[in-house]
Amino acid sequence: MSANKRTRFPIPDSRFPTSGEFVFATAQYESGDWDSAPLVPANLIDSVAKYTSLPVAPTGAIVALASDDLFRFPLVFLTGHLPVRFTDAERTNVRRFADRGGMLFVDDHNHDIDGAFHKTAVEELTRAVGPLSRLPNTHPIYSAFFKFPDGPPNTSHELNGWGDNLVHSHLLAAMRGNRIAVLYSNKDYSSEWGYHPDNKRFLAIDNTKFGVNIIVYALTR
Amino acid sequence: MRRACEHALRVIAIAAIATLLWRAIRPPIAGGVDVVHGDLRRALVRWTLSPATEMRVVLDAAPDPSTRDWLRALARAGGSVHWSSSRPFAAAAVVAEPVPEPNGVTRVRFASASGEAVSVADDAGAIDTLPRGGARELELGAVAGAVRASGTTFTATSEVRDSVVLRPVLLLGAAGWESKFTIAALEERGWRVASRVHVAPNIDVTQGSLGSIDTVRYAAVIVLDSTAAPSANEIARYARAGGGVILGGSTARSGAFASLAPGRVGARVAGVAGAVSSASPRTGLGGFPVSSPAADAVVLESRDGVAMIAARRLDAGRVMQVGYDETWRWRMAGGDESAAAHRAWWSRLVAAVAYAPLAPLAPRGSGLTSVDETPLASLVDAVGPSTPMEGRIAAHTDNARLDWMLFILIAASLLAEWTSRRLRGAR
Repeated sequence: MSANKRTRFPIPDSRFPTSGEFVFATAQYESGDWDSAPLVPANLIDSVAKYTSLPVAPTGAIVALASDDLFRFPLVFLTGHLPVRFTDAERTNVRRFADRGGMLFVDDHNHDIDGAFHKTAVEELTRAVGPLSRLPNTHPIYSAFFKFPDGPPNTSHELNGWGDNLVHSHLLAAMRGNRIAVLYSNKDYSSEWGYHPDNKRFLAIDNTKFGVNIIVYALTR
Repeated sequence: MRRACEHALRVIAIAAIATLLWRAIRPPIAGGVDVVHGDLRRALVRWTLSPATEMRVVLDAAPDPSTRDWLRALARAGGSVHWSSSRPFAAAAVVAEPVPEPNGVTRVRFASASGEAVSVADDAGAIDTLPRGGARELELGAVAGAVRASGTTFTATSEVRDSVVLRPVLLLGAAGWESKFTIAALEERGWRVASRVHVAPNIDVTQGSLGSIDTVRYAAVIVLDSTAAPSANEIARYARAGGGVILGGSTARSGAFASLAPGRVGARVAGVAGAVSSASPRTGLGGFPVSSPAADAVVLESRDGVAMIAARRLDAGRVMQVGYDETWRWRMAGGDESAAAHRAWWSRLVAAVAYAPLAPLAPRGSGLTSVDETPLASLVDAVGPSTPMEGRIAAHTDNARLDWMLFILIAASLLAEWTSRRLRGAR
């Protein structure tokens, strides 16, 4: 079965990005639970629309990693809890995607460095794009829009001791030149940002601001 | 009979010797005309010491620069110097110059008229050949020494004598994939890029050194959309002062930029689905055609009869209007070479308009170069156009080939006469 046929929510052409419009895309992959954080796209789209003047599509897109449609979305979000095993087509596409300037944002929904997702995802990403290394907390992604002088913001799940009981001080990244090709997070932003946008009003500080930074960085660097 | 033949051979030899002697000691043609065909250098020395009234050379090929300069000096000193050719000369030219791109490419243009074959080589060996003449332009990553274009009647020589001073490129636009990938393409090609990318009201993401827009600071300015409208007057001044400006997509629709643009902005056209991975990838890109190009505009690229890229001069500068507004799709969704092609294409656009002053590699007149880019044109410039000889003078031509033929005739007739005598037993 081809990857295109497996797309559960096929998107009509009119939903693909028109000139200048940013579309938040979530990666669909053969293994694991790629759709474990369905509320994240809407939440980040809401934040981008709220804080910036970027033209942004009101709904996100779902794109199969093995599909040529991947190259229509230079920023793609990938998450999950379960082991990740890329097919050959997915691995080839991820490598080409990174080489051409795309940016894959991968978040471990388990927040667990011994977890199945972390081990397998890091292994697969290393095979596809090369080893991941610590991203300095002075990297421009932390000042692309909002300022995060201490690096990646902590999530409530880290502070509550869930998962691996660690507060991860750095994100990981695979670079192409001086640009991030793969940004990898153990911080479980998928849970942190997985709520309906309307509920932001109950937060003293909007916790999706770092998501805006990721998107602005991808669109400007 | 045999003795008569030997006698005749002796007569022939003596006559030829006499002819050679006469040719060696003959006085100049009546009226002081001295015609040289062959050892030009010896004649130049003779004319320098004792100028003839009229000095005329018959050339088999375009002379080298030192010979040409010597002829020019004789003419400037008051002598009457003329030239003609034993066969038609081809007008030929070669020029090697740096391309204003960061990767140090050298552009070589060469041409040969009259259908004469021309081959181009540098110190490392042959580069290209045009068997039927014509013109060609090459871009070479490296050139070893001088570049020579050679044909039967000419050798033109050129050498890269300057390097270009490349300043950063300034990109202005809204945050988006086109901004991101244009910056990426230029940086990956070696350009230094400063950018001001608009993200939100009063919030721009910047990189590189930003300052006033002038030719001291930037080689070119790329404006991708109307978010740069507040800087339009500054950009116009920059262009008029010699800077290069690229207006992308529908930027020229903005009133502030409309007066700079080579044309108006037409209605957006969509790209052909799937064509970005074809042999003509830009047909897969959407964009805004350049409609109603200005009288002084030059259309650089058309698609289906409509201009997609056009350029014009604006006082000392250049302005290019690039209708495509989503070239990033070419890089991301094109074929295997699309990323490299996208880089090269953007770099070429910038190079076409960039303000890139030249810096000499060596002081002029240092003697490091032996440049002779246009042999025939330089000869005409030195001593005027070819003037055919009058028949009376032509008959007097100092023909080295005739001297050799006479010498061979002398040797052959004497050898034959001697052999005949020895064979019949005479001494």
